[in-house]
Amino acid sequence: MNYLDAKSAPAREDRLKTNIAFGGTCAKLKGCIRAGCFGRNGCLNLADRRFSQTQGCQFSLSLSILNTIRNAVVIMHAPIGCGSCTIGNVGVNRIFKQLRDPSAEGVIWLSTNLDEADVINGGENKLREAVLYADREFRPEAIIVANGCVPALIGDDIDSILADLQAQISAVIVPVHCEGFKTKVMATAYDSVYHGILKNCMELPERRRYIVEPDIEKLREQYRISRNVNVLNVSSMSRQDELELQRLLNALGLNVTFIPCYAEPEDFRYSLESSLNVSICGTHDDYFVEHIKEKYGIPFLIDTIPIGRKNTDRWLMGIAEHFGLESEAKRLIEQENKILDESLEPFRKALSGKRAFLAGGEVRIMATAEILQDLGMEIAGFKAHHFDRFIEPVFDAIDGVDDVVMEVATNQPFEQSNLLNRLRPDVLIAHTGGNNIAAKHGIPILPLFGPSYNYMGYSGVFEVARRLNRIMRNSQFNRKLSQHCRLPFRKEWYEKDPFAYIKAQDAVKEDAV
Amino acid sequence: MSKFVDRPRYTCALGGALATLRAIPRVIPIIHASSGCGHNLHNAINPGAGYLGGGYCGGLALPSSNVAERDVVFGGENRLREQIASTLEIMDGDLFMVLTGCMVEMIGDDVDAVVSEFEDSGKHVIAVHTPSFRGNSFTGYELVFDALIRKFIKRQPGKDKGFVNVLGIVPAQDVFWKGNLREIKRLLGKLGLRVNTFFGEGETLEDIRNAGRASLNIVVSDVYGIEAARKFEDVHGIPYISTGFPIGADATSEFLFAVAEALGIERSLAEEASESEKQVYYDYLERLADIYNDIDLQRYAVIVGDSNYAPAVSRFLSDELGWLPELAVITDFLDERQKNILEKRFENYESGIRPMVRFDTDASSVKRYMADIWPRNRNQRYYDSMNPTVVIGSVYERELAAEFGYPLLTLSFPVTNRVVLNRAYAGTNGALSLAEDLFSILVAGR
Repeated sequence: MNYLDAKSAPAREDRLKTNIAFGGTCAKLKGCIRAGCFGRNGCLNLADRRFSQTQGCQFSLSLSILNTIRNAVVIMHAPIGCGSCTIGNVGVNRIFKQLRDPSAEGVIWLSTNLDEADVINGGENKLREAVLYADREFRPEAIIVANGCVPALIGDDIDSILADLQAQISAVIVPVHCEGFKTKVMATAYDSVYHGILKNCMELPERRRYIVEPDIEKLREQYRISRNVNVLNVSSMSRQDELELQRLLNALGLNVTFIPCYAEPEDFRYSLESSLNVSICGTHDDYFVEHIKEKYGIPFLIDTIPIGRKNTDRWLMGIAEHFGLESEAKRLIEQENKILDESLEPFRKALSGKRAFLAGGEVRIMATAEILQDLGMEIAGFKAHHFDRFIEPVFDAIDGVDDVVMEVATNQPFEQSNLLNRLRPDVLIAHTGGNNIAAKHGIPILPLFGPSYNYMGYSGVFEVARRLNRIMRNSQFNRKLSQHCRLPFRKEWYEKDPFAYIKAQDAVKEDAV
Repeated sequence: MSKFVDRPRYTCALGGALATLRAIPRVIPIIHASSGCGHNLHNAINPGAGYLGGGYCGGLALPSSNVAERDVVFGGENRLREQIASTLEIMDGDLFMVLTGCMVEMIGDDVDAVVSEFEDSGKHVIAVHTPSFRGNSFTGYELVFDALIRKFIKRQPGKDKGFVNVLGIVPAQDVFWKGNLREIKRLLGKLGLRVNTFFGEGETLEDIRNAGRASLNIVVSDVYGIEAARKFEDVHGIPYISTGFPIGADATSEFLFAVAEALGIERSLAEEASESEKQVYYDYLERLADIYNDIDLQRYAVIVGDSNYAPAVSRFLSDELGWLPELAVITDFLDERQKNILEKRFENYESGIRPMVRFDTDASSVKRYMADIWPRNRNQRYYDSMNPTVVIGSVYERELAAEFGYPLLTLSFPVTNRVVLNRAYAGTNGALSLAEDLFSILVAGR
């Protein structure tokens, strides 16, 4: 893979044939994979909806990573509204950064506030002023410039302005081309962010050079690097998650560096002194690790996500195999499973037989389903944000879901509302956002992820079980809401097929009203 | 010529329009824009307005055409047509408002033409052009009103003498909008008026449709809602007054007198209303007479807020709580004329205090002004510091407050560290809540 000569990362619809609109069962989905429906000329390539609800764009998802970078200022090169979602982040962002560095500051961002005049004349001057101000006022290590739709459409030559400015300031400038209209697959954001990081933050760190290097120093250095792994974290995971994964890898004698979230810009350089890049979730990292492998020869592992026992076992074994530590890993896995299994017993009694609907990232919902099956629960349905090949390894860890409903939709609460009405699960485990609709179905909701809770590793299984049990003990809040607050969808909608509005590519031209 | 903004305290025109529509029951917005606009704006408005939530049709349930690059080639009009038709099939609402984002405006979609095709659908479908580059949230509020005034509110030549509309409180941007509207409505009720506030408790779309019969529009702001009031005057022949945003007993009295005068209501009725308000107000405020004086609860104050809150809070602190507001930073985009009007609000305080007033949109600027208002500590043995001080601002002032060691009360957008439901800061009841919140901070450790 090498897209780094291009200005920006390609859209995932093109690169991975990612799908955002599908309705059926898991068996049907598997059938579609085999039949090539998702491929270039497949019937599901670029499938979409005749009715859609707002779903997020790669700009806002890019910010969920960029805003976490410590000692950086983010410039949103766009009209005043783009990136205002950062408002929801100002408080927790500082707290989470301080878990990594007690002296860290909260997120600082500037909007270039493009107005009607700029739409005609170009927004280049404002960008220039914003970059110079950011450097002078905040003295950051990096200035990240994320651009929205407007500069992309007016054709601002962002890269040359920034290249010119780079000579005048001390911060490293990182352009991130993440205009929302380019793709409907939000996850393209990960590629866009990594594209900027790969092009601007990755170079081997400067180390003291010996005139004559003693062998012992060389060996020491090689040994150090041979024990280092980078774990590519995601902004939806918590510090507790990191500490759990770190504990497990330390137990195998490995040192862990977490990038990109909550890292400092210079951490990316040191991450090159490593012998393996480990992904937590295929959805996030393939673009980064493939490029690093090609350029720096560091191998990578993209397999499953360490959520649930089987997935965590498999994730650990994969890493252990790379280092020839299989027997150590086996012992660790055995021991961890034994303690955990006993601790889950009381929750199995309470939760067994309960039916759950899972909604969120494709990899994450599948992995979380494994925890539920471990607790004796049933899967009532899945809703995946999008669908691509990274789902396949996680399918292996769950049993008997062939007849389970599988919806692929980025948000689209109307479809989910229809499904919840039909399937009537006992609990919903869901991605953030849109839950005000789900709440009015009166069922308890457990967040699918949360940056202040533990979900990953063995301790994560226990934590999910414990919290699920707690949440299901009293769902009066949502139940009362369901009795007193109306849903915004017409009665007729609940009588229709939940997937009635899914359409094939470009159908809009033929069957427009 | 506008400039970049360091941490804006508002969203865009589309965001302001969405927040305004969120406040009206059974209105369904249809966003014609990129897939992320509605999502991004909901994730700003919800936490920024004290966890306002998406409401009936808000948040991620907002219908949106989600046009992407591949739609741009053919223009987004077909996609919009399809989206409006399917929205009418699925969503249960009485008024559908098509709001545009930057991209479709730039590629030149003829949104009005597409919307006009739905005239015979039996539903009200109205287009509003709200691209982000047209302005911030306050612009969005005005644009929604412009559309309602021209296309939805019934023309009624006969005016109802005892009926008025209230403008100037922008939902979500005023985090306490609904509580404030309730209080304004209650106060006007004391003058025997029937009041439509557009977004108030129990008010409906039908009330908005009938807003044209009002005999006066009362704009409780020097800046927001003025355009809407002018438009009302043009289209519906309703005159307006602009009163400023009342907080405290004095401001409430002035407000009541101004309305009475404009409507030709007898002054004695306003006097009576004002007097009875004061009685209740001081019955409560008097409770503080002990603790305020026992332990010296006078404070310096730094106020950072919008054009409604900054002047109103500053004057309330100075003239009713006896505090010392030294600096007020107003964070809106304003023209010179608006700045002049607002500056006058800081003059002629009964206390004789004269705060320094600055107009600045940047979060990082406030700290610089702190250096301008007070002489620096030059390491002299005895230094008259500006302490104790309370900062009254938004959540962006948290770091500033922490740096100086001052407590902070957040009341101006964004307010992410509080949950706001029916609280009000306007009027006399609101002033009591504000006093409660300020003094509670000071006694929290006792």
